[in-house]
Amino acid sequence: MNFNITEEQELIRNNMREFAAKHVEPLAAEIDENSRHPAELFQKLAEGDWMGIPIPEEYGGAGADYLTHIIAVEELSRSCASTGFTLSIHVGIASMLVLLFGTEEQKKQYLAPMARGENLGAFVLTEPGAGTDIMAATTTAQADGEHYILNGTKIFISNGPTAGTYLVFGWTDKSAGRRGMSAFIIPRDTPGMTPGRHFQKMGLRSSQTSEVVFKDCRVPRENLLGAEGAGMTMAMTGFDHGRIGIAAQCVGIIQAALDESLRYSKERVQFGSPISRQQAISFMMADMATELSAARFLTRHAAWLKDQGLPFSKEAAMAKLYSSEAAMRQTVKAVQIQGGYGYCKGAKVERLMRDAKITEIYEGTSEAQRMVISANILR
Amino acid sequence: MAGIWVYGDNHEQCLELLNIGRSLAERTGTPLSVLAGDGGEASDYIARGADEVLLLPVLGDGRSHDAYIPVMAEEARRVGPDVFLLAATSRGKEMASRLAVRLGTGLCSGCVSLDFTESPEMIEMQRHAFGGAALQRVTCAGRPVMATIPLRTYDPAAARTGREGTVRELPVPRPSAVRIIERRVRERETRDITEAQIVVAVGRGFEKPEDLSLARDIAAVLGGEIGCTRPISDEQHWLPEELCIGLSGVEIRPDLYLGLGISGQVQHVTGIRNARVIAAVNKDEQAPIFDVADCGIVGDLYDVVPALIKELSEK
Amino acid sequence: MSTIIACFKWVVDEAYIRRNSSGSLDFSSVDFKISEYDRNAIEEAVRLRDDHGGTVIAMTVGTPEAAKGVKDALSRGADQACFIADEAFSDLEPSLTAAFMAEVIRGRFADYSLILCGEGSGDLYAQQVGPALAEYLEIPCVSYVQKVSLRGEVLVAERRVEEGIEVVEARLPALVTVCPDVNVPRIPGVRDTLGASKKPVMTLGRADLVFSGGPFLRTVSLTAAPMDRSCERFPADSTGIRSFVDALQKKGVIP
Repeated sequence: MNFNITEEQELIRNNMREFAAKHVEPLAAEIDENSRHPAELFQKLAEGDWMGIPIPEEYGGAGADYLTHIIAVEELSRSCASTGFTLSIHVGIASMLVLLFGTEEQKKQYLAPMARGENLGAFVLTEPGAGTDIMAATTTAQADGEHYILNGTKIFISNGPTAGTYLVFGWTDKSAGRRGMSAFIIPRDTPGMTPGRHFQKMGLRSSQTSEVVFKDCRVPRENLLGAEGAGMTMAMTGFDHGRIGIAAQCVGIIQAALDESLRYSKERVQFGSPISRQQAISFMMADMATELSAARFLTRHAAWLKDQGLPFSKEAAMAKLYSSEAAMRQTVKAVQIQGGYGYCKGAKVERLMRDAKITEIYEGTSEAQRMVISANILR
Repeated sequence: MAGIWVYGDNHEQCLELLNIGRSLAERTGTPLSVLAGDGGEASDYIARGADEVLLLPVLGDGRSHDAYIPVMAEEARRVGPDVFLLAATSRGKEMASRLAVRLGTGLCSGCVSLDFTESPEMIEMQRHAFGGAALQRVTCAGRPVMATIPLRTYDPAAARTGREGTVRELPVPRPSAVRIIERRVRERETRDITEAQIVVAVGRGFEKPEDLSLARDIAAVLGGEIGCTRPISDEQHWLPEELCIGLSGVEIRPDLYLGLGISGQVQHVTGIRNARVIAAVNKDEQAPIFDVADCGIVGDLYDVVPALIKELSEK
Repeated sequence: MSTIIACFKWVVDEAYIRRNSSGSLDFSSVDFKISEYDRNAIEEAVRLRDDHGGTVIAMTVGTPEAAKGVKDALSRGADQACFIADEAFSDLEPSLTAAFMAEVIRGRFADYSLILCGEGSGDLYAQQVGPALAEYLEIPCVSYVQKVSLRGEVLVAERRVEEGIEVVEARLPALVTVCPDVNVPRIPGVRDTLGASKKPVMTLGRADLVFSGGPFLRTVSLTAAPMDRSCERFPADSTGIRSFVDALQKKGVIP
């Protein structure tokens, strides 16, 4: 087994590390504090071809594999989990769905601008009454001649306020059950679709999250993504890809927590020596390093399977489940290691711990992941 | 026996190299020659240790220093010195590299100390590597043994009465292929911090240029000069480049260095290693400056510096 | 403007060097990078090519492991690379590096116009290869350059000397060594990196070289620079401030 990433992937990882140190680190605390979307930063990401790594060159992307994108998300998230997450949603779900299920026309019109970073993509599925229970959704997409008319309310939509391209899911035929939901590509400013105002959150505060409300939103037929009724399958595929991205985001978070813990513990002197010499502390960091390694390998393996064209739903769920729970565990430990300082605003670990919590909830809660994994292994 | 040669761009540098040159000459029992451009100082060089002054003819306007290279090489081939030390200035470093190629020998750049080893009898030269993190000791099998010596590594040689020596003019060189079309002398906006006994350095911990007055105030109370890290001068342009301390700036050896809001990256620390006492104020407990500081305060400089000024003024 | 050669070195990233308690250096976890100032040289070569036309060749001498550096250099805008590689090249002294490059340039890139080098490499910072290479090739050398421009077949450069700046001219072909403030090197984009392996690389080994002089220098030891500082910490409260000032007074460094 060759566990090495390629030389290109190493160079790309190092370049993202340099990019993050230069452009992202200086902003991370401020955009968290002010809950601000750093448009100028995404402009720079676009210029460096970071916004469409796994998208083929003919559609404006860099034409690399998914693992390369995952490595970039890891490294970016190490500096700012919000920015890493925004990139992940944009590439891993929104762009990938259009790539996998879009017509040639749709790919040229909607995928290429996203791959070039000209606008952000959003995945619009969750509703006030439908989180893990997607079937409880109520948004409808009524066929009407050459259009569909969408009505309903979506909630907790990442990139909701800022996206240019929305991938929206609604019932075209409620009676058909799992085969009754369809997906639509809806550009910003389409009349009848109103992104709401940004929510204030515990963590991942720079990522913009809002409601998106549909009231008699007319969408042309040619904006139907994939086949009518294939919405649920496409959503699942979207989750499979997106989960690997979330797992990578968590790897970045745990890496940052470990970096902080190592540095702090070597400097902080109590009882006459650095606390890194206390087994209680060094054992915490040993566990942190081990969980980091495990999370990283699960994540990269899932990406590798996808790139090989092999089934990867189970592995994606495992990677997401493990990495997110590890991120939560380890960021709590990181704050513990830094004691009072770690609890104060200004300490990076304070932000890491707040950022980590949502990773256990979105893109399928940990419970949902366990459902996917158990369904898979009990087949 | 062949001798020891030293070269400096100016009078001051020649005096420093005459110091080490004299000890090498005594050790080897060979004559010490200084290659210099200023004939007016010849008797001073002799008083301070030179047995011979080799005068480099003054170059005309627009003539570049590398014109000296063929002349020096020719003379070196003729005389065959054992050791040839050049001041590690921009010109000195370039000339030394090119001379080493012409003379078919090796060159130790940035040599901070030269020692004789007993057996075999060799000169061991010491220099910094890896951005200042490492010390490298080298020997050279070629002749002459060549090294460039950073400024202020040695004190100027002391003058002695009764010393005698000769002065010889080297031939006028042909112009080099590089023509100087303009010289811009840098207006020194500030005093030379490499000569200051106390230096207060400012770093990224300062939020805006107006706040540098805090540093100026404490420098005034201490009787010291202001310096800075590279981001402050070369990126933010809050202070002139000549105040930049570190790898791409100056090296200082004050009695006291006080770094305010400076993290202590290797590239800066390499410029302060030889300070007698290093002190630092930084709000980040993890800042690497505290690894090299004799006295450190972890705190916000905006609170600590006024408190220090008060304490110092009261004493 | 025909061929511009940018020389670079693949060096240990000093951020990863650790020191053992015995005072020796631990290189076991090091990563490598193109030396910082060489990135400036490559960036400047690419800039001049974009303005004046021609081809940029990135050239390096090193061990076979430096192949990743060749890809890195190509990802920064160079058109081609020349990789002079051999296991024996792990600790080449500067004059030998220069001699080998000179031989290859004379033999295979004889129509070059300009050579750019960093002012010194991030590992040993000897600052010798540039001028030594110019000497072997017998071309004009301008070092510590903060600004480069070309006027036809003439190079105009601003070089830093202790007392200020000398603005100089020299006919091409010529060599310059650049200071870090000559430009801001790019961070290569993803496509730049992926496209690097498609660019031509000429690889040569020791057997392709005739030069047989040297080596002259021998490294007797390489140890961690001593850092024997007292490392006393004082709290930022009034007692701490007083003790801090007392300590400095006791050391005799303040009046």
